[in-house]
Amino acid sequence: MSTTKIVFRDVSKFYGEVLGVNKVNLEVAPGLTGLVGPNGSGKSTLMHLMTGLLRPSRGEVSVLGVSPDCPEELFRLVGYCTQYDNFPNGSTGLSFLRFALALHGYSKSEADERAWAALTRVGLTDAANRRIAGYSKGMRQRIKLAHAHCHDPQVLVLDEPLNGLDPMGRAEMIDLFTKLAKEGRHVIVSSHILHEVDVISDGVIMIHGGAIVAEGEIREVRGEITSHPIQVLVRCDRPHVVASRLFELEHIVEVRIVQDEGLLVSTRDAPGFFNSFNRIVIDTGVIVETVAPADESVHAVYDYLIGEGLGGGSS
Amino acid sequence: MTTPAQLLRRRQVFTLATHEVRRSLFSRRSLAVYLLVGMPLALMLLRAFFMPGSMRADASHATTEFAEVFHFFLLRFVVFFANAMIFVRLFRGEILEKSLHYTLLAPLPRTVLVIGKYLGGVLSASLILVTTTTLTYILVYLPHGSAGLQLLLSGSGIANLASYLLIVVLACFAYGALFMLAGLFFKNPMVPAILFLGWETLTPFLPTFLKVLSFVHYLVSFAPVPVSLGAFALLARPVSWWIALLALFISSTLLVFAASRVARHLEVTYSAD
Repeated sequence: MSTTKIVFRDVSKFYGEVLGVNKVNLEVAPGLTGLVGPNGSGKSTLMHLMTGLLRPSRGEVSVLGVSPDCPEELFRLVGYCTQYDNFPNGSTGLSFLRFALALHGYSKSEADERAWAALTRVGLTDAANRRIAGYSKGMRQRIKLAHAHCHDPQVLVLDEPLNGLDPMGRAEMIDLFTKLAKEGRHVIVSSHILHEVDVISDGVIMIHGGAIVAEGEIREVRGEITSHPIQVLVRCDRPHVVASRLFELEHIVEVRIVQDEGLLVSTRDAPGFFNSFNRIVIDTGVIVETVAPADESVHAVYDYLIGEGLGGGSS
Repeated sequence: MTTPAQLLRRRQVFTLATHEVRRSLFSRRSLAVYLLVGMPLALMLLRAFFMPGSMRADASHATTEFAEVFHFFLLRFVVFFANAMIFVRLFRGEILEKSLHYTLLAPLPRTVLVIGKYLGGVLSASLILVTTTTLTYILVYLPHGSAGLQLLLSGSGIANLASYLLIVVLACFAYGALFMLAGLFFKNPMVPAILFLGWETLTPFLPTFLKVLSFVHYLVSFAPVPVSLGAFALLARPVSWWIALLALFISSTLLVFAASRVARHLEVTYSAD
């Protein structure tokens, strides 16, 4: 098994008769990976399997070469921010982190130092000695994030980590995730807000009905969806001229002039389109402002593959 | 020589045990345990308050009275249920609070987790029940004035108390292991606990080959003052202290081992619990 990737080999999980995930084969490389899917699709099951909170009914999971059956090795590498919004009774933010770090084997002074550093990173130093029970939803989310990364793990698994955070908090956390991913760590983020996944993720895993429907970089995934023509947005000074030339091409499915937006072109052959478009620009002398893919987003890919509205809960 | 790995395990066990002691002694849920252990104290206070003057002068019955209170109320009810409440919560309580995953996400083998929690439970239960037994013991003798005090502080008075406290601590180890396993195994562990209480209560009336399957059979072998168990009790040869100690040690160890086996396969599916 790879020592740099998170690997699922033919993994299935059943809850009695109910299917959690089915025959999952995955290899997750370092970087920021978005995990998206509707409620009940198996996102949390997948994350639980990754962190040993659930055991596969079939198949095997390995995280950087370590089996989740070896918690003493695994949890030095992994930090997990779960969807559960519960905490040990009576804990303060600081005591909660101290306890976790003491279980990692840190001495009291080291645990204190790391706990304060984690509290600082998530902006909770002022509330460190307050009981978590009195925290707001956003603060509870932050303390869970601090718990997940206070021991400096190589792999961060984050289940809906932006839930309950205000826009400023979201931006701060997204910065933190991006920074951690740039350091070469695995950061796996599940979210139902596709726009956020789109902005922050290097790659995406789409799950539906317990099965992985797509995996990889958004552009690659989009390229493999041949059932839907690729959409390209063109902004130029004479859109009607470009439109009339584009209609002559065989692979063009649709050209729409969108008010104030430009031309929305649907094609079955993206490389063919770009080659032909260069020729049209040279021939007609139109001034082009932008040429950009219009549906190389998580949202579009999600719509094509799953085609359901996303809810806000857990799975 | 202690290896770094052993040192780490010890530190983890210590952290878990102290965490459990705090939870067991100072959480809101401990109130039920305190109410339970307050019962014998309240009874002894009432006894002292309503004791006729003629009885106050005679302390000779105090030793037998405490023995009966200990056998029929403290050991078989208070110690039993206090242990059930404390040890069942070690795992089941955290599952119900949906906070067990924080401990499961720590880099420690599940066996260490079980041992740490178990020792924390034994410490908490022993602390509460040793205090309760000692106070009850004192309250039995105190109303008899100087005669009671003399008896209490005599060599046999102290030795008897030490024997009762030993029984209580051993009961915490044995019942604790059983209830911790029950808390891991059953969604509602109080049902098997009550069934086991029935078994423990029936022990005096069972033939010897069945008596050996109860904890109370071994525990009472340390009792300094024998009590009558009624006309229907089947008498058996008393168990020697070392056999009793060995039996309790082996059964507790096996139960903790079984608990660690169950914990190894423990999954976090709170919605199913």
